[in-house]
Amino acid sequence: MLKIENLHAEIDGKQILNGLTLSVGAGEVHAIMGPNGAGKSTLGYVLGGRPGYEVTQGSVSFEGQDLLDMAANERAAAGLFLGFQYPVEIPGVSNVQFLRTALNSQRRARGEAEISAGDFLRLSKAEGEALGMSMDMLKRNVNVGFSGGEKKRNEMVQMGVIDPKLAVLDETDSGLDIDALRVVGDGINRIMRQPHKAVLLITHYQRLLDIVAPDFVHVLADGRIVRSGGPELALQLEREGYGAIAA
Amino acid sequence: MTDIRNREAQEAADRASTYEWGFSSDIEQDFAPKGLNEDTVRFISAKKNEPEWMLEWRLKAYRAWLTMEEVSWAKLDIPAIDFQDAYYYAEPRAKPKLGSLDEVDPEILRVYEKLGIPIEEQKVLAGVEGARRVAVDAVFDSVSVATTFRKELEAAGVIFRSISEAIREYPDLVRQYLGSVVPQRDNYFACLNSAVFSDGTFVYIPEGVRCPMELSTYFRINAENTGQFERTLIVADKGSYVSYLEGCTAPMRDENQLHAAVVELVALDDAEIKYSTVQNWYPGDAEGKGGIYNFVTKRAICAGARSKVSWTQVETGSAITWKYPSCILKGEGSVGEFYSVAVTNNRQQADTGTKMIHIGKNSRSTIVSKGISAGKSNNTYRGLVRVNAGAENVRNFTQCDSLLLGDQCGAHTVPYIEVKNPSAQIEHEATTSKISDDQMFYAQQRGLNAEDAVALIVNGFAKEVLQQLPMEFAVEAQKLLGISLEGSVG
Amino acid sequence: MLLDLPSTRTEAWRWSDLSALPEIAQRAKSGVVPTALPWIDCGSESPRLVFVDGRYDEARSKAGPIQIGRVLASAPDHALARLAGQQGWSLKLGEGHAAPGLIQIVHLTSGAADHLAAEIVLEADAQASIAETYMGEGWTNRLTVIALAKGARLMLNRRMLGAGGFVSLTDRADVGEGASLTVATLAAGGNDSRVDSQINLSGQTAFAEIGGALLARGRQRHDANLVLRHDAIGGASRQMWRSVADDRATASVAARVEVARGAQKTDGVQSLKGLLLARSATVNLKPELEIFADDVKCAHGATVGELDRNTLFYLASRGIGESEAKALLTQAFVADAIDRIGEEAVREAYATDVINWFSQSSLVPSEVEGRS
Repeated sequence: MLKIENLHAEIDGKQILNGLTLSVGAGEVHAIMGPNGAGKSTLGYVLGGRPGYEVTQGSVSFEGQDLLDMAANERAAAGLFLGFQYPVEIPGVSNVQFLRTALNSQRRARGEAEISAGDFLRLSKAEGEALGMSMDMLKRNVNVGFSGGEKKRNEMVQMGVIDPKLAVLDETDSGLDIDALRVVGDGINRIMRQPHKAVLLITHYQRLLDIVAPDFVHVLADGRIVRSGGPELALQLEREGYGAIAA
Repeated sequence: MTDIRNREAQEAADRASTYEWGFSSDIEQDFAPKGLNEDTVRFISAKKNEPEWMLEWRLKAYRAWLTMEEVSWAKLDIPAIDFQDAYYYAEPRAKPKLGSLDEVDPEILRVYEKLGIPIEEQKVLAGVEGARRVAVDAVFDSVSVATTFRKELEAAGVIFRSISEAIREYPDLVRQYLGSVVPQRDNYFACLNSAVFSDGTFVYIPEGVRCPMELSTYFRINAENTGQFERTLIVADKGSYVSYLEGCTAPMRDENQLHAAVVELVALDDAEIKYSTVQNWYPGDAEGKGGIYNFVTKRAICAGARSKVSWTQVETGSAITWKYPSCILKGEGSVGEFYSVAVTNNRQQADTGTKMIHIGKNSRSTIVSKGISAGKSNNTYRGLVRVNAGAENVRNFTQCDSLLLGDQCGAHTVPYIEVKNPSAQIEHEATTSKISDDQMFYAQQRGLNAEDAVALIVNGFAKEVLQQLPMEFAVEAQKLLGISLEGSVG
Repeated sequence: MLLDLPSTRTEAWRWSDLSALPEIAQRAKSGVVPTALPWIDCGSESPRLVFVDGRYDEARSKAGPIQIGRVLASAPDHALARLAGQQGWSLKLGEGHAAPGLIQIVHLTSGAADHLAAEIVLEADAQASIAETYMGEGWTNRLTVIALAKGARLMLNRRMLGAGGFVSLTDRADVGEGASLTVATLAAGGNDSRVDSQINLSGQTAFAEIGGALLARGRQRHDANLVLRHDAIGGASRQMWRSVADDRATASVAARVEVARGAQKTDGVQSLKGLLLARSATVNLKPELEIFADDVKCAHGATVGELDRNTLFYLASRGIGESEAKALLTQAFVADAIDRIGEEAVREAYATDVINWFSQSSLVPSEVEGRS
């Protein structure tokens, strides 16, 4: 589904990714772990197509298409969802309005019919309920006045409504208490644990991986994957720390 | 097009001026000759069959205008206007008859489409031959619906007329209130308007009547072209309510470069007037050439106790906008509101805001201004909040936000606060911001293209104002904001 | 002397009333100097200068680094400052030099009008702290031109404590890269005033803070007009003004922040507040922004109101009398502006001046009526 080869990227002339190679197949959950400054968030932004992040070498293909050749909104329409570590506030725009505009933009880009108002409301209400977000919350402005945990749950509601093929989730577990972590983790499993979908979980800690069990775990350091393995690698990291393993 | 009209007008004028009694008595002509003098004023008045007092009123304004000077304090670069190089009266012009929409400027059609204007309405707006009857059918179902509307208004006792008709049919009412809110000498352009106003609207809502529908100039679109010196007078008698919509979201082109309208609102005890405007006059090309100069004087008097006037405006058009819809809050407990979104792009200039003059005790006012600047434009909020010594317990809250798109535009905030009564509570807040890269990327990552993302964020920025608009206006206004900012990012 | 004065029809003079100036300029001068001048006690042998009716009083002064004589300062476009002439004082400090302690200058105008110019030039990393006090009953007219080079720091404090008359202060300042200018103005006397400050932040990351408290009673008028212009990237400015008007007095503040095209990352804050102590007193505020750059942070707030009645009641319930309570809360109101003064001695002097202003307070008319 996703094939990253020898990816080099920089921001403001500063090299962050140094030849990262990674392949994610359909039905797989990959966890990317690593110390601060390893380039984890940069990887998310480069995949999402954030302006300012310049790819200097390497390639990324998504379902056979050249991902790097696409604008951010085209990547979204192609089925890539980026869960933000710090979801952005948009004053004056309600979550419902935002999400509906987003969903219909994607549908139009794919040549599909727009979703009806009724269908959309049912869908967003159902996703909201599954993630503990009331309709009242969804009618409020995008992330404005939301706590850290509410913002993350809101990201999952968006993911549920948009129903992407590939979710790149950047530190989705940060700022969550144990109950919220459970809700978010279950959400990821329910929405994304499907044979035709895949997940790239960017995280610092084991705790989300207890709920969303990864098939593969990679350690990112200095902009490259320095080690890959199964779920046991994450546990080992938890015990021994990054220092020992990344060395 | 303009040349043809000018030539026709010139010929008509030439014919008239050779007439031995002067053209002023010859009202068969369709045009007053170029230029402005007392005879022009007499011609206009005669053309409209006005009573003597009306002519005298106009002449008085004209004489006062001669002694006045153009305003210079606004943050506007106004090219010199040659008032003698213009026509002040022409019969409603015949737009060039077009056979079908295929003959309309494709740029205009594209905008119509983006606004979601139905095909039949597009034809009316564009001036396609024979479209009007069809459009009336399309918009109002049938001519009889329009008639039903009129009957319904009449049954309620509401007077809704062109001001020319009202001067003839309700001279006492018009005479009582015309110029009572905006005195002739108020400012240069209002004075000019008083002398030469072509037409406009008169509304009277009788005591205790809630006007059964939103009144709109849109009803009369193309039925009467009210021209460049429009005059509107709305009187809401005790305990009445009216919501009035002015303008149209469709881009309007006009050969008249100068527009100097005057709008006067009078609210008596417990009356409420809601006045909503969407202004989308031609802003000129990317260099600002050919755009409309919109110098409007709008003022309301909340004359009665507990009366309320609410101005809502969405200003996206015109090359230059100079406009301060204001409230004189004279009645005890009266309420004034001003909600404004002003968008400027390319070389547009807008200097707009409001004045809230608190005279009555317990009067309150709210000002919410959202300015959006893009391109090489300049957007100024200018507002005055004044509390007179006798006005106890006045409350005002002002929120002024500016959004800049790009680093070549300007956003200015010029509030004046003048308070003479200690019991007043006056608060003013202002912010200046841009659309953040984070917001843009977030929206784009969710699938919006850059233009839609800007439109969405801008609409969020302006939401407090847009939600004051009547529903059908609000939807169009939202689309309009997006269209006005096209090409401002990327 | 023939005065060509601007009228209120001119935008920048909208809230001014200069009609008394010709009369004040005719007042006889006594030339009398009080034995105790209002020196700020800063516990050091720092320079002290006295100007009496515009003349340098050498006997009472210790000039330190200040030079008296001809200065290069002019403001031909300003109706009052253009009268300032070429005589006055100057402070010029070379690179890295610091003036010895707080330089204090007392301007005493016993009558008529006197005009002086001043020039302050600080080379790179130089610093100085100056406190000027204005006294008397005539018209004191001053023009000060300030140039701060890279990293220089100037703290300028002005107190107006005149028994009457008029004080007009015009400043033209240029603040260079990383330099810092702080101006704190207090009007707590019986004079009318007009303050014009035009400050250009021409260097990157320059900083300026201008603020103060204007206290007016009787028929007094204070009028401050401030322009802070950001011409370079990364500048920061603060404007913090508190105006108090009692009786039939008027206190006006028009403050503008200008951000030039390209002056990105500017951080401008304006806070203008007015307090009215009586009906028919007037507070006028004009917090203006003029912005030509998109990546800036400019926020301003303005409020006008009276003392909070609940708080007054609360103080009354604790046994504090009305006039005392008013004085206390008004001091708290102006403290926002005064507490920002860096030097403790100056800050304390200002606080004392504010308290004195209240203790000299004539009875407000409503109280007189209430007692009759």
